[in-house]
Amino acid sequence: MSAKRGAGIARPWLLMVPAVALLLIFLVIPYINIVLMSFRTPGTGTPYGVGFTIDNYLRFFSDSFYLFQVFNTLWIGALTTALCLIIGFPVAWQLARGDMRFRGLAYGLVLSPLLVGIVIRSYGWTILLGNAGLINRTLQALGIIDSPLPLMYNALGITIALVHVFLPFMILPIMAAIQGVDPSLESAARSLGASRFTAFRRIILPLSMPGIQAGCILVFVLSLSAYVTPSLIGGLRVKTMAVTVVDALIDTFQWPWGSALALMLSVTGAVCVLIFARLTRMKWKVARS
Amino acid sequence: MTEVSIERLTKVFGSSRAVDGISLRIADGEFISLLGPSGCGKTTTLKMIAGFEPVSDGAIRFDGSDVVNVPAEKRDIGMVFQNYALFPHMTVAQNLAFGLEMRKVAKPEMEERIARVLDMVQLGGYAERYPNQLSGGQQQRVALARALVIEPRILLLDEPLANLDAKLREEMRVFIRDLQRRVGITTVYVTHDQAEAMTMSDRVVVMFGGRIAQMGAPADIYEKPETLEVAEFVGQVNLIKGRVTSVDAGEAQISTVFGTVAVPDRGIARPNMTATLALRPEALDLAAAGEPGAAGRITARYYSGSLVDFRVALSSGEELHVQTFPNARYSEGDDVTVRAPLDAFWLIGAAQ
Ligand SMILES: Nc1ncnc2c1ncn2[C@@H]1O[C@H](COP(=O)(O)OP(=O)(O)OP(=O)(O)O)[C@@H](O)[C@H]1O
Ligand SMILES: [Mg+2]
Repeated sequence: MSAKRGAGIARPWLLMVPAVALLLIFLVIPYINIVLMSFRTPGTGTPYGVGFTIDNYLRFFSDSFYLFQVFNTLWIGALTTALCLIIGFPVAWQLARGDMRFRGLAYGLVLSPLLVGIVIRSYGWTILLGNAGLINRTLQALGIIDSPLPLMYNALGITIALVHVFLPFMILPIMAAIQGVDPSLESAARSLGASRFTAFRRIILPLSMPGIQAGCILVFVLSLSAYVTPSLIGGLRVKTMAVTVVDALIDTFQWPWGSALALMLSVTGAVCVLIFARLTRMKWKVARS
Repeated sequence: MTEVSIERLTKVFGSSRAVDGISLRIADGEFISLLGPSGCGKTTTLKMIAGFEPVSDGAIRFDGSDVVNVPAEKRDIGMVFQNYALFPHMTVAQNLAFGLEMRKVAKPEMEERIARVLDMVQLGGYAERYPNQLSGGQQQRVALARALVIEPRILLLDEPLANLDAKLREEMRVFIRDLQRRVGITTVYVTHDQAEAMTMSDRVVVMFGGRIAQMGAPADIYEKPETLEVAEFVGQVNLIKGRVTSVDAGEAQISTVFGTVAVPDRGIARPNMTATLALRPEALDLAAAGEPGAAGRITARYYSGSLVDFRVALSSGEELHVQTFPNARYSEGDDVTVRAPLDAFWLIGAAQ
């Protein structure tokens, strides 16, 4: 038995070759390129000039405008993540444990945002949120407000649209995690004297933590790097880092500067993810003999 | 502790009656087994006692007070699940502490009780392990400890040994039985393994199709099953035909290939009826051809170490299953005599 197993997967790393090759070619090499690029001097008529410099980073840290923009981006990401979690968890719970009859329908509804292109969805939100949009006009027609509420061209609008776009990425991993929790654990907790709520808080919630963690990291990272939604809804008024990076690269053709900005976003995002993962670390997952 | 009384308990799922009006009184400290084939309603009955499944009809009383409307967490029950249902994110000690925390037991007492119960299940050194660091048998004992540490009124176990290998299962049978005796807790044990039910219980309740077919001490169930269904479920059984010659004072005389046997008539036997009698394979014995008894020929022989199983075709045409000690040196094709003690028979049915 053990001999057979040994022969069957004699070189388990062979199975990883395709994945490693993909990562190397499409992630690591471009990343190295970006890091190098971020230390180059600006060029005229060429992507970059001669020699290396740390000016790009000095510019970033000396201009509070960019620091504020990073902060703003992280804030929108965190807010989007929190809202997705609050809205998504009950939905994930229903999908995992709810009535079988409605599960198919609910599943379809959850996935539906993914079936429509992101540009179309974001335009949809501009129709709803704009000053002459559906929400404002309805509220005005009903006499609830006099002047339009500022729903677009601000962080709130971006967050609302991002929550809609990324909700499935929160719901699906949490749903999978809850489905993985044996329902008899809840019965066991009840028989030991726990109310439904206590059983949920002490047993179900911690055991679905891996899904919550995965969902939060996914949504947060996706929000930080989102481009289409913030640029359509934020317009020229509110810019997230991703939008600024693209401006630098495409509009003003400042490749070294854009690379430095992109890296600062990556680094701060990664730090946030690490801190989050550390805070939500599950001791019992680590403890395997 | 607690006496449990169940009256006409019924559970309806859609159009099917999973549990169909069972009545049962479990004495304080008694160990009862619910025994029956898959789908006969054992788990459903247990879940209703525990409060996980709403009752369709009937009553459940603990010490005389109706608990049907008491939620599971207020019933003060210790439950052991087939898959153990240990909390994977908690250590053994935390698993045991959970029920005590719900009862707001003070810290020092809590630690003392956990240590005592872990000792009782022989897991003294395992308090800080997580469930996935334990073997199946150890997890099983943690589950038992977790149910016992809250000192519940009633202990409920749903096929707790089903996932263990044969050797460990036998050890755990004795272990659970001894522990239950020592603690003296009223216990309901669900199983579809008749040997398990027999070794462990004070009384066995045999269920078929949501109803109680028979209940009684293990020996009564085995030796005096009331129906063929029960007889076949709790062990192997031979059926032979005979003719009722007379019935008198509750006793029927029946003439068979083994001679005339006297059995309780159970109110179904009338003179001249054809009776079906049952007897267990291990009650039978083999002797050399020509001895008094029923003549036959061995058609098959199965050796299993402590016992040998023979199939014997009687000259009357009936096929018997005989179980003897391995010192019976007969082989396939031998002519033999099958002997049966006259008190080993019981009446299953009678017809004209
Ligand atoms: N939630 C449910 N909905 C509908 N029918 C159910 C439900 N739970 C159980 N049943 C049915 O009730 C009957 C009794 O089920 P139960 O689980 O009590 O059987 P059991 O005796 O424990 O069997 P096993 O030995 O296989 O565990 C079965 O026919 C089962 O299909
Ligand atoms: Mg069952």
